[in-house]
Amino acid sequence: MFNKTAVYPFAAIVGQDKLKLALILNIINPTLSGVLIRGEKGTAKSTAVRALADILPQIEVIEGDPFGLAPEEVDLYAELCQALGRESVGQPVFGLRKVKVVELPVGATEDRVVGSMDLERALKTGDKRVEPGLLAQAHRGILYVDEVNLLDDHVVDVLLDSAAMGVNTLEREGVSFSHPARFTLVGTMNPEEGELRPQLLDRFGLCVNIGGLTDLEQRVAILERRASFEQNPESFTVAYAQESSQIAERIGKARELVGRVEIDRDRLYRIARFSLELGVDGHRGDIIILKAAKTLAAWHGRSKVEDSDIEAAAELALPHRVRRQPLMEISDNLEAVRRAGQRAKAPQSSS
Amino acid sequence: MISPLYPFPAVIGQEDLKKALILCAINPLIGGVLIRGEKGTAKSTAARGLSELLPEIVTVKGCPNGCDPMGPLCPQCLARLKELALDNSGSSLATINNSPSLESVKRRAPFLTLPLSATEDRVAGGLDLSEALASGRRRVTPGLLAQAHRGILYIDEVNLLDDHIVDLVLDAAASGVNRLEREGLSLSHPANFLLVGTMNPEEGELRPQFLDRFGLSVAITSEDNVDLRVELMLRREAFDASPISFRKLYQKEVDSLKERLYKASRFLPKVKVPSSVRRFASQLASEHNTAGHRADLTLERAALALAAWKGLEAVGEAEVIEVSPMVLAHRQREAVPPPPPPPPAPEEPEEPEEPEKQEDPKDPEKPQDQENQDNQEDQKDPENQKDQKESQPEDLNQPPEPQDPNQNPPEPGEAPETVFEIGSTFRVVPIRSPFDRIRRRGSGRRSRSRVSQKQGRYVKSGPDQGRGDLAVDATIRAAAPYQLSREKPPGLALVVQPSDFREAVREKKMGNYLFFTVDASGSMGARGRMAASKGAIMSLLLDAYQKRDQVALISFRRDQAQVNLPLTASIDLAGKLLSELPVGGRTPLSSGLALTYREVRNSLSKNPLARPIVIIITDGRGNVSLAPEAKPFEEALKLAKAMTWEKRVKYIVVDTEETGAVTFGLARRLAESLSAVYFKTETLESKTLVDLVKNDELF
Repeated sequence: MFNKTAVYPFAAIVGQDKLKLALILNIINPTLSGVLIRGEKGTAKSTAVRALADILPQIEVIEGDPFGLAPEEVDLYAELCQALGRESVGQPVFGLRKVKVVELPVGATEDRVVGSMDLERALKTGDKRVEPGLLAQAHRGILYVDEVNLLDDHVVDVLLDSAAMGVNTLEREGVSFSHPARFTLVGTMNPEEGELRPQLLDRFGLCVNIGGLTDLEQRVAILERRASFEQNPESFTVAYAQESSQIAERIGKARELVGRVEIDRDRLYRIARFSLELGVDGHRGDIIILKAAKTLAAWHGRSKVEDSDIEAAAELALPHRVRRQPLMEISDNLEAVRRAGQRAKAPQSSS
Repeated sequence: MISPLYPFPAVIGQEDLKKALILCAINPLIGGVLIRGEKGTAKSTAARGLSELLPEIVTVKGCPNGCDPMGPLCPQCLARLKELALDNSGSSLATINNSPSLESVKRRAPFLTLPLSATEDRVAGGLDLSEALASGRRRVTPGLLAQAHRGILYIDEVNLLDDHIVDLVLDAAASGVNRLEREGLSLSHPANFLLVGTMNPEEGELRPQFLDRFGLSVAITSEDNVDLRVELMLRREAFDASPISFRKLYQKEVDSLKERLYKASRFLPKVKVPSSVRRFASQLASEHNTAGHRADLTLERAALALAAWKGLEAVGEAEVIEVSPMVLAHRQREAVPPPPPPPPAPEEPEEPEEPEKQEDPKDPEKPQDQENQDNQEDQKDPENQKDQKESQPEDLNQPPEPQDPNQNPPEPGEAPETVFEIGSTFRVVPIRSPFDRIRRRGSGRRSRSRVSQKQGRYVKSGPDQGRGDLAVDATIRAAAPYQLSREKPPGLALVVQPSDFREAVREKKMGNYLFFTVDASGSMGARGRMAASKGAIMSLLLDAYQKRDQVALISFRRDQAQVNLPLTASIDLAGKLLSELPVGGRTPLSSGLALTYREVRNSLSKNPLARPIVIIITDGRGNVSLAPEAKPFEEALKLAKAMTWEKRVKYIVVDTEETGAVTFGLARRLAESLSAVYFKTETLESKTLVDLVKNDELF
C-alpha cells in the first residue's frame, strides 16, 4: 500500500520531535492504544505517519491469513477460515512481515470497515461467507484515519466499539461473526474543523498538538529536503537509509527491553496524584502514563522509570483527558498538565 | 474467547456496579442493568467479565432459541412436542397420561453482544439463505434476540444505538416475545433476556421508555483513593502484558464467585418476602415518585436476589434499602415542579456563581455541574484567560472581532458595555425538526432523515426505485426461494431477476443549521440577566455539539445587528465568541430579525433541503427601527409575520424577561407573530423524565 510508491523517510522529517516520539512509543508498545495528532494543515502530520513504514518492526503471522493472527491466537484460525469459506490449510505456516499501516478513508462506509457478506461468493455458489473489512486488516497493525474529526458518526461508533475491546463483532446482512481487532489508532485532525467526541478522544492513548515550525533555518531545511526528495526519491531515501535503520534498531531493542522496565512504588503514587490533581475522567489516563513512562525508559535504554519519563509521558497522555467543557480548547491544557505535575511532585505523607 | 476477559473479581472498587450485575445474574427477572459513567471506569470490563460467571441453564436439546423445557416454548419446540404426543398416543394407550417431554441439555447461559452496526435482520432474525437456496423453503435464522433468550444481551454505548434497533429491542424486552414479520416470514418466539448496557452521559441520554426497561442503574465514577488507583494501574498493566497468566492468578476467585452465584440462584425460590417488607417497598417507591409500577416490582425482585446472595431465608427492610438506589435513581421524577431559579441578587449583577449555588443541590447527579464549575474557575484564572486570547489569532476563519469598543465609543447617556460571564448551563429540552420523507445529505445527530447518499445506517430494504443502492443481502434473500425453478447458467448458483431487486433504505440523523440571534442590548444586561441568557445559549450550544449541528451567531445592539459567526461546524468558536460578547446600548430588534432572515435564506439557497432552526434570545423590547419613522416593535412584528413565509425554517423564541410584577410579554407577542415555539429561559431546561416526553411530542 504505502511502500509501493516512494515514501518520505521518517528520519528526514525536520523537527516535530514530539510527534515522532509519540509514534515511536506506540510502535514499541502497541498497548498504548494510539496517537491523536492535532494540528494545522501542512505540518507533516500525514507524512510522518506514512513514513512509519520505514521503521516498523516485523511480526510473526500465519502465511496467507487475512486477519493477521498472532501465534497465540492460532486456535482461532480454523474457525475464521471457515467463515471465509476457505478450506482449512492444515497446519498453519508462520512467516514474518512488517506491521501494516491500514488507511481508513473519511468516506468509508460501515460495511467496508467492519466487513460484510461476500457478494461474489454468494452469487457464484450461494454460500453465505464473510468478507473481512478494514478492521480485520488492521489487527496488530496501525489504523490510520486522516481527518478523524470528519469521520461519519456511525463509523466512529463502530470504531469505538472495537477499539474498546479489541474485538470486531459483525451482526449484519445475515452474517454473524467476530474476529480479533486490536489496532493502534492513529488519527490526525485539524481542530478548526470541529472537535472530536470525548468518547473517541479518550480512546487515543496519546495526543500531540503540533504547529508549524517557527525557526527559520528549520523551515529552510524542510524546503530543501522536500525538493531533493521530489527530484529523486530513491537517492534521497538511500541517503537516509542508515539513519532510518538506526532508529529501527533502537526500536527493536526497546521492544525487547520494555517488558522488563521497573518502576518504584513512589513513582506510581506520583502518577495517580497527577491525574487526581488534574481531574481526569476515569482511569485510562493513569494506565497510559504508566505504560508510556515505561516505554520511554525503554526507548532511552533504561530499565528503570525516572521522574522525567513520567513528566514526558503525562504531557503526551493527559492534555486531551483533562475534564473540560466540550467547548474548551485542548491546547490550553498543556500548561495545566505541567502545573499539576509540579503539585504532584510534592511528597504527600497521607498515602 | 477471542480476546481474554479481564477477571470480574480483579475489578477494583465499583462495588455498586458489581453488586448490580451479580443481582441480575441471580434473578434475571430484574431485567438488566444500565451502567452510566464517565469513560475509562471499567464499565465494559465489568459487564463483560460477568459473562463467565453466569450459571448454567437447562434448555431443550437442539432448540436454536434455547427454550426452557418448562416453557414458554418457541414454535419449533411446540411442533416437536406435538409430534411426540402423536407418536405416544399411537404406540401405547397406557402412557397417554404421561405428558411427553422434550429432551433437555444443560449449557452456559448465553452472553450476546449487540454491536452498534447491527442490522435489523440480525437482531430480530431473517431468512435462512442456504436453506432457501437448497430447498426453496423459507426458514428463519434466529437473530440476536432469539440467541439471547434466558441470557444477557449486552450493548456497549447503548445511547448511541440506532432508534429502529432500539425499537426492536424494546418491543421484545417489554413483551418477552420477539415477533418477526419480514421477508415473507412470520414467526414469534420467546425472548426473555437481561439487558446490560453501558453509556457515557456526555454522549447524550437514553429515551425514557428504554431507560425504564433497565431494572437497575448504577452511576459510577473513577476512584479517587490514591492507593486504589495505584493498585488498579498495576493490575491493568499486568493484564495487558500477559492476559493468560493474569487470569490464572484469579481463577480460584472466579470459580468461587461462580459457585456462590449458582448457589444463590438455586436458593432464590426459597427466599420469602414478608408482606410488611412488600408494603415497605411499595411505600418507598411511591415516596420517590416513580413512574408506573415497575419500580415496586423491581425493588422486590432485587431485594430477593440480594437476600439469596446473602443466604437469608427472608427479605428484610435492610435489603430493600440496600438495593433502592439502584432501582429508583433512574425512575425518579420530581414531586413538585422545582421553583424557578430565584432572580439573581440585584446588588451583584455580575456574580456568576449566584445561580450556580442554588442549582447544585437541586440535581446532584447532573454531570455537567462539575465541569461547569471547573470551567468557571478556569475562566476566572487570569492566566488561562490570557491563553485563550493569545491563541485566538491562530484561527484563520475568525470573523471580525465583536469587541471593538475603541472604534465605536459608547453613545452618550447609555450604559457602558460589559462582558458578562457565562451563567450556569443545563440540559436543554429536545429541539429537532419533524421527520419527513425527503432524502437529504449530511451528517450529525439531531433530526432523523432519510438519506440520499450511499451512507448512513442501512435500516431496511424496500422495492427497487432505481437509485442504484442495492441491498444485496435482501435481494439474494428475495431471489433465494425461486432458485429451484429458475434455469441457471453454468458456474452460477443464483439467478437474480429484476423483480428480486431490493434497495437499501438508509437513515441517519443529521445536524441542523442553528442560528442564534442574541439580543445584546443594555436591557439584557440588567440584573445579571445576560449571564443567565449566556448560560442558556451555552446550554443550547452544548446540545448542538452533541448533535453535530452547524451554528451561526448573530447579535444585535446599539443601532444594528451583526453576524458574529457565519454558519460553521466549529461550535468551540461559537462558545468562545459568546463568552466575549459585550452587552450595551439600545435594541435594534428589527435589524436583528432582518439580518437573521438574510443569513437563513443564504444557507437555504446553498442547501435547499436544509432545515434551519432559528433561536432568538431576547426580551422583546425593541426600540430601534429600520425605517426612520416606524414604531420599532410594530415593525419587528410585521417583519416577523413576513418571515413565517419561509416554511422550511423553524423558529424558537427564548424570552429572557424576568417573571416579576411588571411584565410586558413582548417576546411572547413576537413568538406569536413568528409562529415560534416559545420558552422562558427557565423552561428551556429539561428537568424530568416526564418533561422530556411531553416536549418530545411538541415537535
